[in-house]
Amino acid sequence: MVIRIAAVGDVHLDEDVVGRFRPALEELPECADVLLLAGDLTRHGTEAEARCVAEEFGGLAVPVVTVLGNHDHQCDQVPQVVKVLQDAGITVLEGNGVVLDCAGGRLGIAGVKGFGGGFAGRCASDFGEPEMKAFVRTTTDSADRLGAALRSLDCDMLVALTHYSPVPDTLAGEPLEIYPFLGSYQLGQAIDSAPTALALHGHAHAGTERGTTPGGVRVRNVAHPVIKQAYSVFHVGDQLDTDQVSPIGQSGIQRSWS
Amino acid sequence: MTHHRDIGADPPDEYVEAEIHRLLAEDPAVAEQGITVVRRERALVLYGEVESPHRREEILRRVSERFPDVPITSDIGVIRAQAPTEIEQLP
Repeated sequence: MVIRIAAVGDVHLDEDVVGRFRPALEELPECADVLLLAGDLTRHGTEAEARCVAEEFGGLAVPVVTVLGNHDHQCDQVPQVVKVLQDAGITVLEGNGVVLDCAGGRLGIAGVKGFGGGFAGRCASDFGEPEMKAFVRTTTDSADRLGAALRSLDCDMLVALTHYSPVPDTLAGEPLEIYPFLGSYQLGQAIDSAPTALALHGHAHAGTERGTTPGGVRVRNVAHPVIKQAYSVFHVGDQLDTDQVSPIGQSGIQRSWS
Repeated sequence: MTHHRDIGADPPDEYVEAEIHRLLAEDPAVAEQGITVVRRERALVLYGEVESPHRREEILRRVSERFPDVPITSDIGVIRAQAPTEIEQLP
């Protein structure tokens, strides 16, 4: 069983970016069963920017599933943003999941935006001022909802999709001082509470691609500035041969960049 | 004799750096959290990557407007958006 997952996060769309991803996205059906977006689809979370996302990532030949990111919350237009995305056929997850029938089996995806807080031994605690408690409880609540969603899905393969990071590994390259704003260990704990095969996140633009949770689940940071391509493709399964690690066809679109 | 900083003198570089960093995130015309401000001997250098050439120009314009007397140079790139050429296998 092999399921092919394409993923990218932090595309921060606005009018000035529309069209940049589309040539690569048109190639998706040849190399992936699904496209997962790891939040920060927009710059400020406006309805107008969401329409840019719908134009760029809507109407693709593969299902598109997303979570929102912190930028998508900036203008307090989350319901409008979600509606525009859903109208374009994009599934938006927040504390819930979806199961897709793929050629290689049933792919279950559970998603939350997640939140900060930091990592084991160096994290914020639910203690002190109301603001601090609210901060930590936001994280705990988000992680609880992710765990519940992961455990609820009946599928052959389970993927966790978040914006914030569940592990510090994929933050390497970011200043240590800002780790508590980039993710939290509770998300990793939630991922480890279910038989998760892969966890995908964004948010950490200066981080690195690969990590694992303490429970051994593979984690990938797919933030666009990290992967430096339109999306990454993962073939997840238990019957892969080494000769399957090969280029996925043409070498991408030919264009110059600055 | 101890020399005291004159009130009204230029702010220390560290505060300028902090202010630029917040400006980049909080200015609606920029909204970038991934730009690093590094102090060099001759100028402040902005590093990072953005999604379009327009955004790179806007960052320089806004920072220069806000700090006209601070020499600023930029080494900001535009992130490539080509299709991938390789997959990652996760058995």
